[in-house]
Parts: sequence; structure tokens; C-alpha cells
Amino acid sequence: MSIVIPPPPDFTTHDEGLAEFNSASPSRSWYHYLLILASIVFAAMSVGFIGTILWNALPEFEHHTGTLLGGNGWQSPAGPFGGLAMIVGTLETSVVALVIAVLIGLGTSISIVFLLPRRFRNIVATLVELLAAVPSVVYGLWGFLVLAPWMLKTVIPWLNSWPFAKDLFGNPGQQDGQSLLLASIVLAVMILPTFVAISREVISVVPNDLIEASLSLGATRWQMIREVVLPTAKIGLFGATFLALARATGETVAVALVAGGVANVQFHLLYPGTSIAAWIATEFGEAQGNEIAALMALGVLLMLVNFGLSLISRWLVSRQRKVLAVV
Amino acid sequence: MSDMTELAEPVETGNRMRDEIRSISNRARARRQVRSRIMFALCAVALLVTAVPLVLLLFQLFNRGLPVVLHTAFYTQLPQTPTLITPNATGGVSNAILGTLVLTLYASVMAIPVGVLVGVYLAESDSKLAATLRVISQTMAGAPSILMGLFAFSFIVRDLHVGFSAIAGSFALAVLMLPVIVISSEIAVRGVPHTLREAGLALGAKPHKVSMKIVLPAAVTGIVTGIILAMSRAIGETAPVLLVIGGGYINSWKPLDPVSALPLSIYENAKSEWPSLRTEVWGIALVLVVFVFVLSLSARIWASRKQQAR
Repeated sequence: MSIVIPPPPDFTTHDEGLAEFNSASPSRSWYHYLLILASIVFAAMSVGFIGTILWNALPEFEHHTGTLLGGNGWQSPAGPFGGLAMIVGTLETSVVALVIAVLIGLGTSISIVFLLPRRFRNIVATLVELLAAVPSVVYGLWGFLVLAPWMLKTVIPWLNSWPFAKDLFGNPGQQDGQSLLLASIVLAVMILPTFVAISREVISVVPNDLIEASLSLGATRWQMIREVVLPTAKIGLFGATFLALARATGETVAVALVAGGVANVQFHLLYPGTSIAAWIATEFGEAQGNEIAALMALGVLLMLVNFGLSLISRWLVSRQRKVLAVV
Repeated sequence: MSDMTELAEPVETGNRMRDEIRSISNRARARRQVRSRIMFALCAVALLVTAVPLVLLLFQLFNRGLPVVLHTAFYTQLPQTPTLITPNATGGVSNAILGTLVLTLYASVMAIPVGVLVGVYLAESDSKLAATLRVISQTMAGAPSILMGLFAFSFIVRDLHVGFSAIAGSFALAVLMLPVIVISSEIAVRGVPHTLREAGLALGAKPHKVSMKIVLPAAVTGIVTGIILAMSRAIGETAPVLLVIGGGYINSWKPLDPVSALPLSIYENAKSEWPSLRTEVWGIALVLVVFVFVLSLSARIWASRKQQAR
């Protein structure tokens, strides 16, 4: 086990006996009230969590919603505070990171389960889960001190030697190597262990009967994977993907260290930019009054995106379960 | 004889068709095999692409971190700011190590009782409250950690006038740990076989006695595993503590003092201009990673003990 939280099991199916005996129990003991008290504390804390951030962001949403969602540029300390650069930056970095991580991660999980000899399989799986537990600030540190100079010396000149690369990625010239692309790469390296840990587990529980049946019908090993393993594992793979995406959008310090921290809408990935979470972290220390409200409002946006992603993934999983139940 | 010549022709056509079909299917099979080989080769490349940066990261962490952590001053001294005369005077990170331990301790004290009780409640109840709390805990488990920092700042630091302090940081970490503990406790309690519970009830024990004296002890390995995982997650979080703990340069375990933490000093040292601080940062990162690995591994050992017990 690691810090990876797998998609939670489905508890919606009614647990007849247990609930019946609980609701029928006439003795409402102190233990029962203790449990309810703890639950109320937890509920109050969650409501307080969402409520406090919303409440503090309210002044900003009342007066400057348009600027926050569509404005470019962040004029500290008086405003206006435009959030478009952070929104775009969050989208760019997390989507690029997700594409890299899912493509590579899927291949990695398949090789761990189907290519590696049995002896190494558990060792590699343990290693991957340990790596998923490495704090994100360490990935950020590595990106900042090792990858940024390497980008500057090797990657950027190499990219610029391709035709049209300058139009696509931009040509930052001599800067410190921090860019949206570097942030995406660090995010990808960071979410890879999380994605691999879950998708490996999901792939390895595909029933052997199905795999052997497809091989015995003459499928090649790849056809077996494409036609049997991946469709069967689809639920969990979706879960892993959304978890990785949620982690990438919410990541703070790693992005704050390597993205460059420039509040400017930027579609060329080699230029520095920032993300919502990273911007909150870097600006909050010196923020006063209105700026705090603006940063809280950015926090609300981040919360909406994150909760939305988590709801979508829950909905997908439940829909897929229904499909599987019919089959 | 005439029959034979008439028969010979269909047989020959049949043979020709069979050969044709065989060669087509052989070619198709060869194509499929080649395709399969190529895709598996790509998968192997993906494994390499995953492994190289992660192995490099670990190697550089140990390579650059070990020389730093071998000095006792690293653990016993307070941090110093290098000056032009003493560019290598970085001191140690005793405040950050103590701060991390203190923060995790307070956060655990706040989060564990509530989290475990809520988990038990979710596993044993079918009420509307339980269903709502389940959705809340699963949503909160993935919430970005910076939001916990914003919450702790507005609620503890500003509204309650506590100021930048260890208690504000551990409150943020407790909010972060709670959903993880709730979810894993619920799974652990639900994993206890029904027969155990029914045996207790059949002997005449009251439901709450059964829950406390039979179900909880049976689920304790799973619950402890969840708690350790939550702690290992909290220990490495930078974003929430960055906003609220104040980064004090003192050794203190008092809840109201501003403290520092390992992830926070990594973040600050990495951004510093002094090469000596940038060297020291690898040592801090190594200590943090060792903390996290020890916690994760002990969670694994707990979990495997559970499997042996079954």
C-alpha cells in the first residue's frame, strides 16, 4: 500500500442485515451518540472548509467576476486581478502532463504485468508505490535544480532545430529554463507512479479465464490486451486517469518551483507561466485585503474544477458498473 | 473412369483454394504477430521511459543528499543565513525536523479519533447522513492541499486570531488526513466477517459492545494502515503549511509558536541564491523521503500482518 487511494469500493448496494440490526437496536448507547457526534464534527468541518473559502472569495465575485475569469495580468496590490493566465496555465500543464503520463503509464503497467518475469513483478510494483509516496516538493526540487538547467542546455536548442518548433513552442532565448513545458514534464513524472500503481493493479486483476480464452482462440498477445484486458479494465483505468488529472490540477509547490511564476496568458509552452494553485502559493505571503479575496476566488475555481473531476469520475465508474452488471 | 476425371477437378480446385486460404491466413497471422511484437516493444520502451527519470531522481537524491546528512550539525543546529564572509555557514535544520514531528503529532491527535469514529459510523449505518458523509469524504480525499491552507489561514490564523502557528498548520494537515482515515477505516470495518458480529450478538452482547469489543479489534490492522498512510501523506505536504506555520527559526514544540517544517525548508532553500543552501536542500529532501518511506513500509508490514492473520 502507498498513499495512493484507489477508486473507493461501491457501498451503494444495501447491506441488509447490518443496517436492519442497527436501526432496530433499541439501545441508543453513549457509543452510538459518540459516533454521531464525530460524524457531525466531520460534517461541520467539511461545510466550514467549503463555506469559509466561498465566504472569503465573495467580495471578489461580487464585483470582479468578469476580470477574474477573463482578465489577463495581476496588478498587485490594488488590482485588477485577472485570473485567465492561471486558468489557462492550469489547463495546459495538467492536460499535457496527463497525455504523457497516461500513454507512458499504460505501456508501463502492461509491461509490468505481461512482460516482466514473475520474480521482478512484485519488486517493481513495490518500488512504484513507494515512488508514489515521494512528496511532490521533492519532484519540484529535482525539476528546479536538475531538469531546468538540462532543458536550457539540451532540450530547447534541440527543439529549436526542428522546423516550425519556434512557432509552436516559442523561443524563450536565454532564460532560466523554467517554463510551462517543464512544469508539464515534472507533473507527468510525478503522477506517473500514482497512475501506474492503480492501473497495474486494475490490469492484473483481469480474470485469467478471459485471457486464456482469447489466447486459445488464436489472438496474439497484443490482440488479447486490446480486445480483452483493456476493455475489462476500463473502469479502473478511467478512475486512475481522473485521479491523476485531479492530482495534476491541484499540484502546488512542484509547479510553483518550475513553471516560472509569470501571470500572462501563454500558449507557447516554452515560455514561463503559472497555475492556479502555484499562484496562490507564491502570492499569498505578501497579499493584503482585496488580493486575498482574489486569491480565495482562484481557490474557489480550483475547488470547482477538482470537485467536478471527482464527481465525473464517480459517475463514470457507476455507469461502467451498470454496463458490466448487464453483461 | 469418367467419374474419376470428373471428381479430380473439384479436388484440385479445393486444394488450390485451401492453399490460397492458408497463405492468406499465414500472411495475416504474420502481420498480427509483427504488430503484437511492435506494440510490446513500445510497452517495454514505456517502462524504460518511466524508470529512467525516477531512478535518476532517487540516485541524485542519495548521491547529493548523503554527504549533507552525515554531519551531526545538520540535525542539531538552527539554520543560518550565509553571508559573504561565511558563504558555507548553513547551520542545520533542527527546527524543521522538530517542526515536522510536532505538526504531524498534533494533526494526528486531531484527525485520528474523529476519522476512525466516522469510518465506523459509515460502515455500520445506512442513514442519509452516512450516505452524504461518504460522498463528502471521497470528494475531500482528492481536494488540492493548498485549499486546506486557505481554510486554516482564514479560520485559525485570521478569524480566531491565533496567528501563524504550529496549531494552524496541524489543523490544515488534520483536514487533509481526515478523509483518508475515514475511507480506510470504513473499508477496514466492512472487511470484518459478518460471522464474527453475529457470533457476538448470538451470545447476547449489546450491539455497541459488539461494535467496540469485537469489530473494532478485528479491524484494527486495516485502520492502523490507513492512519500511517494518512500520516505519510501529511508529512510531505508543503502547500498547506506554507501559508500558515510562519517558518520560525526556533526549536519549539508549543502549539502557538511559529514553526518550520522539512517540506517548507526544501521550498525556501531551493529558491535561495546561495549555492551552499542549494547543496543542503538535497539533504533535507533525503531526510523527508526517508521519513515517508519508513512510514509507507511500516504500513505495508502492518497490511501483510493482516493478511497472515486471516
